[in-house]
Amino acid sequence: MEVIYDFFELTTQAYTVALRDLKRFWQNIYWLAGQVAMNIADLLIFGLIFRGIVRPDLIPDYIRFITPGILCLSIFISSFTIGREVGVELRREVTHYLVSLPITRGALVAGRVLGGVLRGLMYQVGFLILAVLIMTPPTLDKWILILAASIFISVTMSSLSITLVTLTRDFNIQAAIRSLVYFVFFFMSNVFYPERALRARLGPVAPVALYSPVSMAVTIYRYGFGYSTEVDLVFNTAGLLLWSTATVLLAYKLYIRNLRR
Amino acid sequence: MSRLKTILLVATWDLMKLRNQKVFVAMRLAWFTVQVLVFARAISYIVTRTVENYTGGVEYYYFYILGVYTTLLYSTSIARGYMVAEEFDDGIVEYHLSLPVKRSTLAIGRVLGGGVSTLIFTLPMMIIVYTVLRVRDPVIVAISLASALVFSAGVVSLVILLVFTIKSTDLTDIIVGAIDALLVRLSTVFYPLPVIASTGIAPYYVAATLNPISHMSDFLRILVFPEYYLVAPYGPLASILYLVGFSMGLLLLAIEFYEKKLETGGWR
Repeated sequence: MEVIYDFFELTTQAYTVALRDLKRFWQNIYWLAGQVAMNIADLLIFGLIFRGIVRPDLIPDYIRFITPGILCLSIFISSFTIGREVGVELRREVTHYLVSLPITRGALVAGRVLGGVLRGLMYQVGFLILAVLIMTPPTLDKWILILAASIFISVTMSSLSITLVTLTRDFNIQAAIRSLVYFVFFFMSNVFYPERALRARLGPVAPVALYSPVSMAVTIYRYGFGYSTEVDLVFNTAGLLLWSTATVLLAYKLYIRNLRR
Repeated sequence: MSRLKTILLVATWDLMKLRNQKVFVAMRLAWFTVQVLVFARAISYIVTRTVENYTGGVEYYYFYILGVYTTLLYSTSIARGYMVAEEFDDGIVEYHLSLPVKRSTLAIGRVLGGGVSTLIFTLPMMIIVYTVLRVRDPVIVAISLASALVFSAGVVSLVILLVFTIKSTDLTDIIVGAIDALLVRLSTVFYPLPVIASTGIAPYYVAATLNPISHMSDFLRILVFPEYYLVAPYGPLASILYLVGFSMGLLLLAIEFYEKKLETGGWR
C-alpha cells in the first residue's frame, strides 16, 4: 500500500514540475512562432527546391520524403528547450531553490523529463496535421505507432538535453554541444537522404545511421504516413525504447549529481 | 598611447581568449567534418547532374562545401554574441567602459578582435575545404582570408549591436539563434540562385540576393571556380563591394552605439 502511495506522490510531484515547465514554454511565444516558421520554411524551401533537383529514381517526391524528418526535427527543437532551461538554472544557481522545494529529487528529474516530453508532443501536433495533409492519413494502428515513436523520441531528446547541459556550466559550450548533437543525430540519419545514399557515400560505416534514434523514429513515421511499406517495426520500436531508457537513466544520474553540488 | 596601439591592445585581448576555447574549436571542427564528409557527400549523391547547368559545371559537392565554410564563418562570428552576453553577465562590459579608452576605439578593437578570432578559429576548417578542393594558389588563399575577415567583422558588429540592445542572456540565445538559422536558410549556401528563382517565390529570391552570406559564398565560389562567374547573378566586384559596405556600415553603427547609447546595468 505504501509503495502505491509513494508512486502516486511521485507522479503528482513530477506532474506539478512538468506543468510549470509547460507554462514557461508558452511564455516564449515569439521564440515559438519563430521556430514554427523555421520548421515550415524548412519543409517548404528545402522540400520545394530539392524536389526539383533530386534524382527521382532515389526519391520520387522530396516533400513527402522530408516531412517525417521535420516531425522528428520539431520534437528535437521543442524537447531540447528543457535542457536550455536546466542550463540557465545551473548557471544562475536556481538549483538551490529547486532542491529546497518539498518534493523528492527523483520527482524533480522525472518532472523535468516529463516537461520536455509534453513540450515536444504539443509542439509536434501542428506538424502532425501538416503531415496528414501532405502524406497518406494513417489508420488507427499506425497512429498508435506514430504516438509511441513521438513519446520515445521526445523522452530521448529531453533526457539527452538535460544530460548534456549538466556536463558544463559554460553558456557558449552548452550552445555548441546542442549544435553538435543536432549535426551528428540528423546528418548521420535517414532524415535528408535515403539509406542507399548513405551506403554509397559512407560504405561500411553507413549502418551506424540505422542505430540513431532519429533514423528509428523517422522510419516509423514514414511507415505510419504510408511512405514506406516494408520496415522492421520491432527493431525500430525496441531501439527507441532502449534509447529512451538509457538516456533517462543518464539524465537522472547527472542531474542529481549537479543538484548535490 | 596612440589610438592604433590601443585598438590593437583591445583586439589582442579578444584574441587571448582563443586559448580558452580549445574544446569549443574541437567541437566545431567535429561537426564541420560531419557536415563535409557525411552530409555534403550524401546530399550530393541524391542531387541530379542537371544542377551543374546552374553552377557553371561545378560539381554540387564542391559548390556546397564552400557554402558550408561560409556558414561556419557566419555562425562563429554570430557566436561572439554569446561571449559578449557572458561578459555582460560577468560585469566585464562595465570594466571595459571604465577604462581610459575612447569608446570608438573600444568598438573598433572589439570588432577587429572578434573578426580576427573568427578567422583563426575557422582556419582548420578552411584548410579542410581548400584541401578537398585542391586549392594551392597563395593569391586565392590570401584573397579568401581577406574577404573572410571583412565578412566576419560585419557580422561581429551586427551581433554586438544586437546583444547590447537586447541586454538579456536568454533573449540573446533565442534571437541570435533565430537570426543564425534564418539567414543561412535564406541564402545560396545550399542551392544556386537560378534554382531558387525557379521556385517562383519572389521574396525568397530577393532575400537570397540581398543576403551577405550569399555574396560571401558566391564570391568564394567565383574565386575558386572562375567558371561559376558565367552563371553567377552578380560578379566578384559587386559582391566584394557589397561585403565591404555591409561591414563598414555595421561597424559605423556599432561605433555610434558604443559612443552615444551604450549604458551598463539593466542586464537580465
